[in-house]
Amino acid sequence: MIVGNQKSLAEIKEIVAPYKNLLILGCGTCVKTCFAGGEDEVATLSSALRLGFKKDGKEILIQELTIERQCEDEFIQEAAENINSNDAVLSLACGAGVQAIAKRFKSVPVMPGLNTTFIGILEKQGLFTEECVGCGDCRLAQFGSVCPIARCSKKLLNGPCGGSKNGSCEVDAETDCAWQLIIDRLKALGQLNNLKAYVQPKDWRSSNAGGPRKLVREDHII
Amino acid sequence: MNNSIISKLHGVLARGDFAVTSECGPPRGADPDVISRKSGLLKNCVDAVNVTDNQTAIVRMSSIAASAHLLQNGLEPVMQMVTRDRNRIALQSDIMGAYSLGIRNILCLTGDHQTFGSQPDALNVFDIDSIQLIRTLCEMRDKGRDMSGFDLKSPPRMFIGAAANPFADPFEFRIIRLSKKIEAGADFIQTQCVYNVERFREWMKTAHEEGLTEKAHILAGITPLKSAGMARYMADRVAGMDVPETIIKRMDGVPKNRAIEEGTRICLETIAALREIKGVHGIHIMAIEWEEKVAEIVGAAGLLPRPDIN
Amino acid sequence: MAKGITGIANPYTKGNCRNMKTNFKPRITLFQCCNILSKDAFCKLEKKIDFDLDVVELPCSSLVKDVFLLRAFESGSDAVVVLVCPEGTCRYVEGNIRAKKRVQWVKNLLDEIGLDGKRLSLFNVAHSDKEAAVKIIENTLSDLSDLGPSPARSVRETEAVEEKKV
Repeated sequence: MIVGNQKSLAEIKEIVAPYKNLLILGCGTCVKTCFAGGEDEVATLSSALRLGFKKDGKEILIQELTIERQCEDEFIQEAAENINSNDAVLSLACGAGVQAIAKRFKSVPVMPGLNTTFIGILEKQGLFTEECVGCGDCRLAQFGSVCPIARCSKKLLNGPCGGSKNGSCEVDAETDCAWQLIIDRLKALGQLNNLKAYVQPKDWRSSNAGGPRKLVREDHII
Repeated sequence: MNNSIISKLHGVLARGDFAVTSECGPPRGADPDVISRKSGLLKNCVDAVNVTDNQTAIVRMSSIAASAHLLQNGLEPVMQMVTRDRNRIALQSDIMGAYSLGIRNILCLTGDHQTFGSQPDALNVFDIDSIQLIRTLCEMRDKGRDMSGFDLKSPPRMFIGAAANPFADPFEFRIIRLSKKIEAGADFIQTQCVYNVERFREWMKTAHEEGLTEKAHILAGITPLKSAGMARYMADRVAGMDVPETIIKRMDGVPKNRAIEEGTRICLETIAALREIKGVHGIHIMAIEWEEKVAEIVGAAGLLPRPDIN
Repeated sequence: MAKGITGIANPYTKGNCRNMKTNFKPRITLFQCCNILSKDAFCKLEKKIDFDLDVVELPCSSLVKDVFLLRAFESGSDAVVVLVCPEGTCRYVEGNIRAKKRVQWVKNLLDEIGLDGKRLSLFNVAHSDKEAAVKIIENTLSDLSDLGPSPARSVRETEAVEEKKV
């Protein structure tokens, strides 16, 4: 899922300050799961903003709405009326959702209420970890299904570096050394020999280094 | 690599002499006189001097420029190059530029992560890793091609070095990694500072059994201790460093004003022990901001005068 | 726990309830786990002291969502108190711990808003310990005499309360 984290209230207050009628638009898929932009967060943020503005003697009218996904037209249309009837939208979706809304409503300012952080998983309740950078050329099969690009601080393809200590990364002792995980897993799978071979430099064209990417599925275009 | 001697360091090692290299950190400023002063302290007591590349991710004079200054002062540089700050385009370009300035030795590193440095807000690059950089240099030199396969008219011919840390985890994988570096084209290896001679000996034994000591020259790292505090700091705070309790106790056991003396004694004992280990072809003295100490250590270790290669 | 007020002249005795400095009728919202007390536990106190108390009973304290706590302030509360079972005695194992974490989260949010996180507090109260619960409310009232009315309670609202009273 896409993991995001709500911006500070101070920053949000500054972003929405010019608007009297604001729609806070939640997204019910990824960012809901990470407690950043679902229905509950929309309600909490709206209440906090109202309190904050009231305390400052200012008034703001907030409408709350959460749709299933802000990255798909089918759901975006459900919000059309609310979007058009407000001065601005504070979207609690990931960066993709914010832009999807903005593209479709040209005259309404759409602003982000979250910082989109990474593609990750719910490692355990309340803990989300980055697992993938979307490089466009998956090599997990080679590395025992532990991604050195996303999970090694130095993106080493021929790791580990000299800073691996007791399974931890030198950058942060709370972070696992991806290469220790790769080695452990390949050892358990009896594939440690995978790592003896030199790994070629990565072709980054498939990543965002090659410019914005597009996926075209002709079979779905009518 | 054809057999012609590329650099003085190459010559010393090829002849089977015990090599001595040291280190010079470029200044956090643009004054070349700092390099001249350090050159004066190191001249004639080492075969080559490593020039660090924004070490610990702190911005300093570039290693290329500082290496060029060293050359002008009559010393042979080992230019360090990290993959943290430059992509493959910049790395290859700088390698050719460095060669054109007369730089003949290079040490390929990935580099300390920028979060340790003075500008943790920087974007890192890590387009390629140190092993891929070694391979790149090797292909440039031996096949005359850059990474795209383009034939270079005058390819850079560098004596290629790599770093190895025998003390980092996972221990059993360290030899595989060393072997990958040598397979990729490393001619010489400089190791992390050795305080735990036993563990180093074990690592060297495996390296020797794997035939790696025949393929590359291994120079063991040495850092003289100034105080018990420094020993403890390195043990606890520096990633990938192994300072045994016995060393810390020895440093602790002498009065403060004798700490340097004790540190030097440990250093000389370590050098003597390292010289006995099969496959150790030299030492690399990293006396951080303490260049004046190097001549004393090299002299006391009986490694002077340095062989004359030219 | 906040300082006790036993033995000190209670500033909220009926008829003389207003803090001289801020002059307002305090309003407290209490969220409580139904396993602790019955709703009428504070009848006596309400008779004795002039303040508004809204009691919200929950099957388990873990059901207090962030937004409920904030909305209590939006609807004019000067303080919000959450009463939970002692740790280790929650019928739903960890409901009270969840409530504690959530309250801490919202306290930080209140600080961010500028409402002062001190206006929100959570206490562990044993089953049927009415005395402790009453003491908590008394202490909250005492704290409010220092904190004054919630800055998010508009002047108009405070005045409206005053008028109604007259």
